[in-house]
Amino acid sequence: MASSHLMSPALRWTPIAVLALLESWVLWDLLAVPDRRWTAGLAVPFIANVVFLLLARGSHRRWARWIGLLALGTTYVVSHAFLLGIQVLPALVFVSLLIAQLELRILAERFAPLFLATITSAQQRQIGSALLRALIRLTIASVLAVVIPLLAADLATAGVVPVTTIPTALLLSAGLVAVVLIIALLPSLESNPE
Amino acid sequence: MRTPLSSGLAAASMGFLLLGLALRSWQVLLLALSPMIVLASGSLAPPPKPRLVVVRSLSRDRTDAGREVDVVLLVRNEGSSLDLVEVADVLPREFELIRGTNHAVVSLEAEGTLRLTYTIRSPVKGDFVLGPVRARSFDPLALGAQDVVLDLRSPLVVAPAMEDLRRAQLQPRRTRPWFGQVPSRRIGPGTEFWGIREYVSGDEVRRINWKASARLERLFTNEYEGERSGDVVIVVDARRESSVGTEADNPVEHAVRAALGIADRVLAAKNRVGLIVHRQVIDWVPLAFGRKQLYRILDHLVHVKPGGEWRFSHVGLILSRFFPRGCLIVLITPLLDREALTAVVGLAARGYDIAIVSPSALAIERRIRPDSEEDRMAYRILAMERANRVGQLRRVAQVVDWDPATPLALALRRMTAWPRRT
Repeated sequence: MASSHLMSPALRWTPIAVLALLESWVLWDLLAVPDRRWTAGLAVPFIANVVFLLLARGSHRRWARWIGLLALGTTYVVSHAFLLGIQVLPALVFVSLLIAQLELRILAERFAPLFLATITSAQQRQIGSALLRALIRLTIASVLAVVIPLLAADLATAGVVPVTTIPTALLLSAGLVAVVLIIALLPSLESNPE
Repeated sequence: MRTPLSSGLAAASMGFLLLGLALRSWQVLLLALSPMIVLASGSLAPPPKPRLVVVRSLSRDRTDAGREVDVVLLVRNEGSSLDLVEVADVLPREFELIRGTNHAVVSLEAEGTLRLTYTIRSPVKGDFVLGPVRARSFDPLALGAQDVVLDLRSPLVVAPAMEDLRRAQLQPRRTRPWFGQVPSRRIGPGTEFWGIREYVSGDEVRRINWKASARLERLFTNEYEGERSGDVVIVVDARRESSVGTEADNPVEHAVRAALGIADRVLAAKNRVGLIVHRQVIDWVPLAFGRKQLYRILDHLVHVKPGGEWRFSHVGLILSRFFPRGCLIVLITPLLDREALTAVVGLAARGYDIAIVSPSALAIERRIRPDSEEDRMAYRILAMERANRVGQLRRVAQVVDWDPATPLALALRRMTAWPRRT
């Protein structure tokens, strides 16, 4: 039962640790920007991200968390796209970590309270195996989210797949936009008041 | 159904795509792939709709406020294997979970079972229903979910806790012709000595007063004060005005506890008891004797919640139409407005014998309010107003000013006799 009670803090603190890692990563990049005016400009979304995430933690408002993470991603992308240049591997790791942080937080909200209750060892085993299954899926998805784009980049730069012509690029983009729109327009899960 | 996270990932992917095209940067374009891959991973195994069979068993279906009830919920998967399924047994908000859990997230194979055992307790009385059971099957990346609601409901009646009034002296002043335990101030069968009279043929030998007979050289018989039963009508004031304090600590909850304790005590003394509850509707239980009557009263008290706009004078109409004139009326009211005062004066003028138990809403509110200087001043003013109201009522009725933090028996013990003999 003691190990069950240790699971809860571990689950709760993992997303916070990942978020802290991402924040320090962006702050480090921000300090590396050579132009002070750009640094000051980018500090605005970064501070907004910190403020909104603190607000989300204090008041449990979902919209504040979304805005905070969006501001964090924006700071990273703008600083690299316009000033520092994009290194593919670190950028993919950053994006994957950001997604993993969201997934981990959802898992923590779902599983952490279960380990606080005084549950039987059979229930504990069932819940633990479900958590393990979810973590394995998340790990596989995160690794794929880094590896597949890297492979695609390697193939494209090696010229194995001829996607460099303007019509094929437009066609591929239109297809991707269509897929994204279909997924985005599917009905979202309504928030459950209970 | 897709979750907001899947829409967020799709939007992020599109954002990277548009930015990459605008900046003509293949590196930014490449970043659009990461959210898409996570979305695709989730879409590979969409969550199936759960087909579950649930059975719930309770250790008891009637309990007292504050007493624990054990619940076992058995969930069986009759459909395909569920990767992750969240099961929650919905409880009324009044219940607190003592042990175990009514909520779990597990993997359920086909024909697999989940057993949830937990213990609950309600600090307040009421007629509750446990259920339904909600189940949500979702994919491990939280991108889609399927909900089902299993309409399994189990009624659970929580009776109010009873005030212990075994030592309290509660009896009606006026008696009825039936045998009971109330001294009737008339000669009859009883235990209290009343007087002696000359022996007449047919008197029981054991009642002959031998000392008096020897002294006066004629036979004399002891006479006793007859013990009869009386009628008591308990009136519970559960109007909206009485809704002060928390769900478990408010004048109505305490009034119900007191009413049940008084009914138990008075019925045990072989009197008839009736009940009038002044809430959203005015309902009443006619006078009757015995244990069954206590259960009838309990069934009515379980449903009492503060509410209703009825004028207090309506209670007078019910009393005059459905209850005899000579009964003792025990009015349980927090005395929060002058309407109760006017009604009591009116009833007393019509010849009713009235006793009032007043659970102090002021004492309840003081416990939950911060103790600032302004609050202390307000409390003093309101306490003076209440004392004034109680003082006016004491001219026509016996009043017990009761702080519900203390047992009612203690408040009753401070009175000499209750109700007073005039």
